Amino acid sequence: MTAGLLSPPLLWLLLFFLLPIAVVALYSVGKLQLFPTDTAVFSLEDWRKFLAGNSVYLGLFWKSMRVALTVAVVVVVLSYPIGYFLALAAGKRRYVLLLLIITPFLTSFLLRVLAWKVILGHSGVVSSALVWLNLRSPDQSISWLIYSQFSVMLVLVYVWVPFVALPIFVTLENLDRSLLEAAGDLGASRWRTFFRVTLPLSLPGLIAAFVFVFIPTIGEFVTPLLVGGSSGFLYGNAIRDLFESGLDWQTGSVLSLFLLGVVAVLTALFARFLRPDAVVRD
Amino acid sequence: MASELDRIVERQFSRRDLFRYAGIAAGAGVLAACKKATTTPSAGGSAAARPPVSQEPGNLQVFDWAGYGDGAYGDEVLWKGYKKQYPSEPPKFITFQEDPGFTKVAQGNAPYDIVHPCGYKFPDYVKLGVMQPWDTSKISNFSDLNPTLEKAGVIDGQQYFIVADWGFAAPMYRQDKVTPKEDSWSLLWDTRYKGRIAWEDSLNMFIVAAYFNGVDDPWNMTASEIADMKTFLITQKKAVSPQLWLDQTDIDQKFKSEDVYVGYAWPASWVVGEGNGLDLVYMQPKEGRTSWYCGFGLFKDTQNYYHAHDYVNAWMSPESALWLLNNYGYGHTNTKIDLSKADPATVKAFSLDDPTVLEEPTTHVERPIGDRPAYDAAWVEVKSA
Repeated sequence: MTAGLLSPPLLWLLLFFLLPIAVVALYSVGKLQLFPTDTAVFSLEDWRKFLAGNSVYLGLFWKSMRVALTVAVVVVVLSYPIGYFLALAAGKRRYVLLLLIITPFLTSFLLRVLAWKVILGHSGVVSSALVWLNLRSPDQSISWLIYSQFSVMLVLVYVWVPFVALPIFVTLENLDRSLLEAAGDLGASRWRTFFRVTLPLSLPGLIAAFVFVFIPTIGEFVTPLLVGGSSGFLYGNAIRDLFESGLDWQTGSVLSLFLLGVVAVLTALFARFLRPDAVVRD
Repeated sequence: MASELDRIVERQFSRRDLFRYAGIAAGAGVLAACKKATTTPSAGGSAAARPPVSQEPGNLQVFDWAGYGDGAYGDEVLWKGYKKQYPSEPPKFITFQEDPGFTKVAQGNAPYDIVHPCGYKFPDYVKLGVMQPWDTSKISNFSDLNPTLEKAGVIDGQQYFIVADWGFAAPMYRQDKVTPKEDSWSLLWDTRYKGRIAWEDSLNMFIVAAYFNGVDDPWNMTASEIADMKTFLITQKKAVSPQLWLDQTDIDQKFKSEDVYVGYAWPASWVVGEGNGLDLVYMQPKEGRTSWYCGFGLFKDTQNYYHAHDYVNAWMSPESALWLLNNYGYGHTNTKIDLSKADPATVKAFSLDDPTVLEEPTTHVERPIGDRPAYDAAWVEVKSA
């Protein structure tokens, strides 16, 4: 019975996940030939070059890790108060407010990112406002405002905040309120209650939120493509380029598999923190 | 009557160029080139076992650049003749970009009828085995096309590509915002305009860097020359944080929104920018402009063989040629174009009245790149650095 129910999704995983990974793995060592330019000779050369840091890609990977880490931390810090307010202070209106927070998702992701171009552009809302306030001269543009690593991170934070407020909200809403009351009865101040009770109990939600942002952001390429210029170029963009214009599928496969491996390890590491009993110890 | 443009093109694509282009077409060196230059292309493609035009599905799918018929800039005019012929069968356009477009075809993900790549890629398409030659007798405008340029579309003695358009690539800048120190490609890495410069997202940046740095043959650089140019471009990239553009609409918008004052641009961007009221200069850099030519290829598996020929015939008319010149500042291979009807400002901006404009060292005509994968990989590395 269980096997019967499980086989369609397992088949799906096999066909559209494991099999493609195997194809990419074969490609990464030159065992497959799809283009006339492919040599189809077994070689670990691309792996060696990548792992030994003889190409720029390993450095680019660390750049992407830094960006993803920064974005994930900022998003969690910004989302926590939102989740907290909705779960513990918003009362009956919480679901209406939650809906309002999610509203931007009714518009296209691309449109929302493109809107940032209008806001951050050299003649955009922010720049014009600064000129109007006499805070900068019209001739001097702020070069890091758009087409930079900053703009990529800003837009990513914007995109992720409402998403991430959700798991935090759910964790806090399931919090046993009597624990908060007990802390109060025992004379703990509000801050002390927060740091000793609420925060530790919501850690699984926080970690889930962090993972939720961190892992997909490492391989992100659409946002850098739209607002990153040449300095916001990330690891995901290199993979896309190697496959799409560079026609170097072998290096592209090496980069993709490495990313997949790192993500798998990170997920395994974080998974143990996602259980409340693993985090909260007495 | 031979037009001015015809004269320019004729003069440029003669003598040694004829050999060079024949060489390009053959892709196999001078020996092959000599042979090709004396071979008359066959009409190509047998009509046997092909259903008549009335039995074709008529759903022509054109894999072409943005603004080359899809109506992005009122450019449906380019196939006006086809529309008259088949009023109820408008073609479908799929946006083409040079490298991603080729990848798509190479992967077998391009089930279209016609594709429009540029000259240095012609042999690559034929090598894939997915193209078929045109039957030039079914393109009535073919006899008016510049024969020397059309030779560049001949591969293995057959007309695999109908060369249609050509143009320049050069630095372009806003005259009211930018004062170049000299007319040079170096404007693309002038730190005074940091953040307001746009490079093409393409290995073409290696070509211009090489001309700037006086490399012997920018189209056939050695591994160490490529490495030097890579270091050079990485340094410049870090100094000016250039924006990157992949298609023309992108660079046009960047100029319009004032995000960009200086850019690697095609003539069409000058025409669009002028139309937007921008005060633009299309530079003649001291290192020379580069130029390119592109043409139509016919996929082997097309079910719209006759429709495709009629479509390309419409594109090759003198009316389309004039439209292309007036609206994009691009040249066309049709020699019956009447330059007196062309916009004088456009003719002046691209020095089309100068018969030497397409000659070395003023302009370097695009040619196949020796170790193209090495250029490609190096360009991805520049972006990644």
